[in-house]
Amino acid sequence: MTRIVVDPVTRIEGHLRIEAVVEGGKITDAFSAGTMVRGIEKILKGRDPRDAWAFVERVCGVCTTVHALASVRTVEDAIGISVPKNAELVRNLMFCTQFIQDHVIHFYHLHALDWVDVVSALSADPEETSKIARTLSNWPKTSPGYFSDLQKRLKAFVDSGQLGIFANGYWGHPAFKLPKEVNLIGVAHYLEALEWQKEVVKIHTIFGGKNPHPNYLVGGVPCSFNLEEVNAINTEKLNFVAKLINDAVDFVEKVYIPDLMAIAGFYKDWAAIGGGLSNYLAYGDLPTKGYAYPEYFKFQRGAILDRDLTRVYDVNGKDENEIKEYIAHSWYKYEGGDTVGLHPWKGETEFNFTGPQPPYEQLNVEGKYSWLKTPRWKDNPMEVGPLARLLVGYGKGNAEIKEVVDEALKKLDVPVTALFSTLGRTAARGLETRLIARWIQEFFKELQDNLKSGEMKTHNGEKWDPSTWPAECEGVGLSEAPRGALAHWIKIKDKKIENYQLVVPSTWNASPRDVNGKRSAYEEALIGTPVAKEGEPLEIIRTIHSFDPCLACAVHLYDPDGKHIHQVTVN
Amino acid sequence: MRKTKTSIDSPRILILGIGNVLMGDEGVGVHVVNALDEAAFPPNVECLDGGVGSFLLLEPMQSVDKVILIDATIDGQEPGSVRRLTPKFSTDYPNTLTAHDIGLKDLLDAFYLMGTAPEVVLYAVSISGLQDMVMDLSPVLRPVVSKVAKMVTAEAAIPPVTVRSSPICA
Repeated sequence: MTRIVVDPVTRIEGHLRIEAVVEGGKITDAFSAGTMVRGIEKILKGRDPRDAWAFVERVCGVCTTVHALASVRTVEDAIGISVPKNAELVRNLMFCTQFIQDHVIHFYHLHALDWVDVVSALSADPEETSKIARTLSNWPKTSPGYFSDLQKRLKAFVDSGQLGIFANGYWGHPAFKLPKEVNLIGVAHYLEALEWQKEVVKIHTIFGGKNPHPNYLVGGVPCSFNLEEVNAINTEKLNFVAKLINDAVDFVEKVYIPDLMAIAGFYKDWAAIGGGLSNYLAYGDLPTKGYAYPEYFKFQRGAILDRDLTRVYDVNGKDENEIKEYIAHSWYKYEGGDTVGLHPWKGETEFNFTGPQPPYEQLNVEGKYSWLKTPRWKDNPMEVGPLARLLVGYGKGNAEIKEVVDEALKKLDVPVTALFSTLGRTAARGLETRLIARWIQEFFKELQDNLKSGEMKTHNGEKWDPSTWPAECEGVGLSEAPRGALAHWIKIKDKKIENYQLVVPSTWNASPRDVNGKRSAYEEALIGTPVAKEGEPLEIIRTIHSFDPCLACAVHLYDPDGKHIHQVTVN
Repeated sequence: MRKTKTSIDSPRILILGIGNVLMGDEGVGVHVVNALDEAAFPPNVECLDGGVGSFLLLEPMQSVDKVILIDATIDGQEPGSVRRLTPKFSTDYPNTLTAHDIGLKDLLDAFYLMGTAPEVVLYAVSISGLQDMVMDLSPVLRPVVSKVAKMVTAEAAIPPVTVRSSPICA
C-alpha cells in the first residue's frame, strides 16, 4: 500500500492537498484538504453592502468577476432591486468572456499537458503534423514550415536546460497515448492560446473600466453608453468588442473544440475513469428575463441524484433545509457543535485549527483535516462544474445543450454514460464553451439593438439610498463560476453587513468528508483510478485537473509509513 | 487598453504591484503601487494594481518592454527586507513567492519560448508568513511602502536593456 500526497504546501501556500492510498495499482481511498484559510466574512462584517463586491472580487485571482457578480446579486436580492435589461446583457457579456478565457486557459495551460507529451513532439514530422492539422479544421496556421519552426524553437529551449513550463511533466509516461504529430499540434496551440487569451479579456476592460478586478455596481453596471461620445462606450468601442467576440468564437470553433475532440479520441479509456459522485448541482446563470426567473437562464438551475437524468430537482438557495455546511472534518467550530449543518444565512466562521504545522507528512484524516467546510444539498454530496451544468440542462431537455452534447457523443462513438468520467468532465468544459461562444454573440446583438433603438439605461437607482432599505433583510446571489456553482449569502442590519457567507465551487468539490463519512467530489472521483507508476502519479493529476482546481500543485510520494521518498512538482 | 498616452518611440514600462490586500502584508505590492502618483511619471510609464489577477496580468505584461514587478515573498529574510532581482526563467523567482502568481510566473516561461518576454525586474519584499484576513499592513511593513515606492520610481527611469524579438505565434 502506498500513500501518495499531492500538496503545494511545501512549495508555496496553496489551496489544495490530496492524499491517495494506492493498492494493487489502483486508488482505494483519498482525502482532499484545503490548506489555506479563508476569512473574507470577517473583513466584510460592518461594511456597506454596496461595497462588498470590491472586496470579494479579490478573494480569487481567476474567478474575480463572478465573485463580484454574485455579490451585487446578493445585495440586490436582499434589498429588492431588479436591474435594467442593458445591465443584464453587459453582465452576461462579462460572464461569457470570463468563461471563454478561463476554459481555454484551463484546457491548454493547466490540463493539456496531462495528455500531451511535449518531449514526444520534438520528434514529430512537420509534414505529417501539417496534414493532420488540416484535417482537424481550417485554422490558418497549419503549414509544415510553421510546425518545423516551432519545433526548432522548442528544441533550442529544451537544449538550453531551462524547460520552464515543460519542466514538471511526466514525459514518456506510459499513460501518454497521442501520436507525436498530435503532441506537436497540442504544443503549438498551447502557445497560440497564450497569445490569443490576452485579447479576449479586453472586453472586461471596456465594460468594467479596468482589469484585473473590473468594476461592478449594485443596481446595474458602471458603464455609460453613448454611441457618439468619445469618453463613453461608443460605436468605435462596440466595434472593437465585436471583433474580439468574433476572434474568440473563431478560436473556440477552429482550435479548442477540434483539439479537444482529437485528443479525446485517443483517451476513450478515460470515459470509464474518475466518475466519482453520482449527484450534480447547478445554480444556473445567464438570465434572459431577469435574475428572478431562473427557468429562462441559459444555464438552468437544478440538481440530479443517482445520475438519473430523467428527473431534475428544484434548488432553492433560501430554503434552510437544502444547502448546509458541515465542519466535522474542517478546522472550524460551531456554537452548536461539530455534528450540525448550518445554512449560510446562519453560517459561522470561527477558526479551530487542530492540525499539524506545515510542512507535515500526513494529515490526521480521522479528525479535522481541511480548511474547507463541507457543503451538502439535502445532505447529499454534489459535484459542481461544467459537467453538472450540462447534465442539468440535458436532463431538462434544453435543446441547445442536447444538440452539442449528442453531437460530441456521436462523434466519439460513446454512450451518454461516458459523461460520468474524467474525460466527460473535460469534454463538458469544451462543449459549454461552444455554447457560450454562441450565446455571447446573441447577447451582444441584443445590446446593440437596444442601443440603436435609444435604450441606454444601465442602472436602476431607485433603492440606492440606504434610507429606502428595510431595517433588516437577507439575500442570496446564486451564480456559476467557471469551476462550478457559486453563491453568496448576506444579512443586512441597520444598513450594514451583519453576516456574509460564500460557498464557492471548490468547497463543493474539494471538501473533506461530511459528518456521515461521505466523500466529496475530488475524493470520490479518485477511487478506482489506476496509477501505473507511483513515482509519477499522472492519473491523479488528470482527474483532479479535470475539475479545474485553481492552483498549481506539487506532488510528493510517500511510502505507507509516511516517509518521504520522492518529490515531483507538477502544474 | 488601460490607457493610450504612450508615445510610439519610447519603451513602455509597467510598474505592477501584485498581492492580496485582504491578507495583510501579502498585499504590500499593491500598497506600493497605490502610493505612487502615476501622473508624475512620463507618459511611457504605467502603474497597475495587479491584485490577484494571475493570468489576467499576461496581457498588460505582454504589451510592454519592461515590467517592474513588486510582490511579497516568504523567504526567511527579515520582514521588510527588499531585494531587487532580475529573474529570467520561472525557476529564478524566489520559490516562496506567494500563491497568487504561481501560474503567472510559470507562463512567463512560455514568453521566452515565443520570444515575447518583457524584461522583468522584481522587487521582492520579505514578509513573515501568510497573514490573517486583515486589510492593514503590519507596523514593520508600513514604512517599507514609501521606501519601495522610491526604489521603483528610480527603476522606472532606467530603460529596458533588451530588445524584444518578434513573436512566432502572433
